[in-house]
Amino acid sequence: MSKILRVNMTDLTARYQDVPVKYKLMGARWLTSSMVSDEVEPTCHPLGPTNKLVFAPGIVTGTAAPTSARISVGSKSPLTGTIKESNAGTKFSPMLAKLGIKAVVVEGQPKEGMWYLLEVTKDGARLLPATDLAGKGAYATTNALIKRYGKVGVCCIGLAGEMKMAMAGVCFNDLSDRASRYSGRGGLGAVMGTKGLKAMVVDNKDGPGVSIANQELFGQGCKKLTEALQTHAITKPKGALNTYGTAVLINILNEAGGLPTRNFASGTFEGAPKIAGEAIFEGNKQRLGKELYNHACSPGCIIQCSNTWHNPDGSEQVSCQEYESVWAFGANCGIDDLDVTAELIRISNDLGVDTIESGGTIAVAMEGGLAKFGDGQKAIELMQEIGKGTPLGRILGQGAAFTGRALGLVRVPGVKGQNMPAYSPRAVKGIGVTYMTSTQGADHTIGYTIAPEILSVGGKADPLSPEGKAELSRNFQIATAFLDSTGYCVFIAFAILDIPKGFEGMVQSCAAVLGTNWTADDVTRIGKEILRKERAFNEAAGFTRADDRPPEFMRYEALPPHNKLWDIPNKALDSVWDF
Amino acid sequence: MIEIYLYGKLRRFARDQDPTGYSVVHSIVQAGDSIQGVLKRLGIPMEEVGRNIFLNRQYSALTRRVKDGDRLAVFPDNMQLLYSWYFVKVGEDHEVKKDKS
Ligand code: SF4
Repeated sequence: MSKILRVNMTDLTARYQDVPVKYKLMGARWLTSSMVSDEVEPTCHPLGPTNKLVFAPGIVTGTAAPTSARISVGSKSPLTGTIKESNAGTKFSPMLAKLGIKAVVVEGQPKEGMWYLLEVTKDGARLLPATDLAGKGAYATTNALIKRYGKVGVCCIGLAGEMKMAMAGVCFNDLSDRASRYSGRGGLGAVMGTKGLKAMVVDNKDGPGVSIANQELFGQGCKKLTEALQTHAITKPKGALNTYGTAVLINILNEAGGLPTRNFASGTFEGAPKIAGEAIFEGNKQRLGKELYNHACSPGCIIQCSNTWHNPDGSEQVSCQEYESVWAFGANCGIDDLDVTAELIRISNDLGVDTIESGGTIAVAMEGGLAKFGDGQKAIELMQEIGKGTPLGRILGQGAAFTGRALGLVRVPGVKGQNMPAYSPRAVKGIGVTYMTSTQGADHTIGYTIAPEILSVGGKADPLSPEGKAELSRNFQIATAFLDSTGYCVFIAFAILDIPKGFEGMVQSCAAVLGTNWTADDVTRIGKEILRKERAFNEAAGFTRADDRPPEFMRYEALPPHNKLWDIPNKALDSVWDF
Repeated sequence: MIEIYLYGKLRRFARDQDPTGYSVVHSIVQAGDSIQGVLKRLGIPMEEVGRNIFLNRQYSALTRRVKDGDRLAVFPDNMQLLYSWYFVKVGEDHEVKKDKS
């Protein structure tokens, strides 16, 4: 029997509830967004007592389905003011699922300055004082909990979450118990901070496990998906992701003229090859004296894209130098040194902040004259300032939009207050449409998935036309909303995009767990339902189509090397929501 | 003359093979040359060439024509990580039709 765990931080109780019928088939984003929509007043203050924080494993999480150990965290975002879902790969998620827990809902607010730890085992859940953990970084917190509890899933916040900063993320432990996996975007760590919840540990020992309604179908589905993942050039062992990690995209986007450089002033970075996936592979090889392939962030991942970066003496410096993080602190800040990006990522992981928002903020600070582009030492000092909680640190900790306002800047590349990730909208217009129209602010993972030919979403618009771009973005956002609900990592998209059997297997595995007969049509139906719910929440919170717009400078500052402006008409952006 | 930037295992066809830098080769352009024609002439095995090919920073099909002064970048098959569904390939349908006629 699966259940929902309600943690009330006002009266410090934790109790189980049966899963209401309407939530029975849901998982991850579908469930977090539904619960936030049902239970959170859209106009509430994100840091106030009536906001809630919902954690949910995916539909197949905790089963033998490959690459499916994701957890979704949902709430109203302090960064964007919209609904938010941010997911991460971690052992924490399957452990919750194997205890039969479909969601953990954290609500209420304790007395200011009180910190708690939530302990979840098969025997129940309880809140304990966590005064000893308060004031500790995410690394020290995670290490202390692993030492105390052993084999557990850990979730925690760092100092940024304690200080309720809008760039604070929620941290989870990876397979080797590093505090390195983040539900980073949207300031969800600050919401956890307002709840006085410093950390959670989950131990699934002797738990019931995840029940599967149709074992035979499940086996077939997983087999098809596994085959697709193991044969596709990107996802197979020693394929692109496993060898070079996502940072192989640095050189690729640079060649496409779409690598945002120096706060989105250019689409190419001359130092790109020095910080790309190949350079990471080569750097580690030289320092370790052997080739190092990437590892899994979470149990059961067969893609294994997560990397480590090593010091000159061979010791581990940080995990992980992935594309978005290396870009944010690298090209976007004009920095071409992997040791510097590694240190900036390490500081971010420890403070508990989103690397995309942090890098974007440092780039904006550079634009505003607080440091020169390319000055790695100064970038490190600015990040340290955040941890000290100085007035400047408090400003930076609120993210790029807030920092830009404090510095009187116009070139602030965000949508709905969230800084853009590593694809320049003026060069890659389709992803720009997704940034502008997503329910969650500028986000690259939200429209990331299956090609329209595989999904029966229909549509024949020319992808070169503005209408065609809107239609593509809509279809991607619909399919991604479903994928984000399954527990599968979005990187399976590469394989299921090209291999229809893999896609079929993915849908079958979900249907088999739940005992439904879902097909591709249901993927579309459910994806639309999720988007409509999220959009309705935002509208009730006061958002209109006028918020689905690019930062204005992109309309009049041409981006080299293509020298293109943002020229997609507003009505094309609005048409994304015509469904 | 056309400049060809090679990445990953394809760097072996350039003199400078440093994986943290640019590996560039130059080639003469012949009349009617396509990207594929140029790569074949350099002796690059086509099965090692991925779909992430950029001509003058545009995501391009192998059949696209090249001309003097172009900048071509080629990634091998084990590096084609572009989220290609957001990019429109230049030169594909158009060129295929032309080749057939
Ligand atoms: S593909 Fe990468 S990010 Fe996704 S689950 Fe595997 S290791 Fe984690």
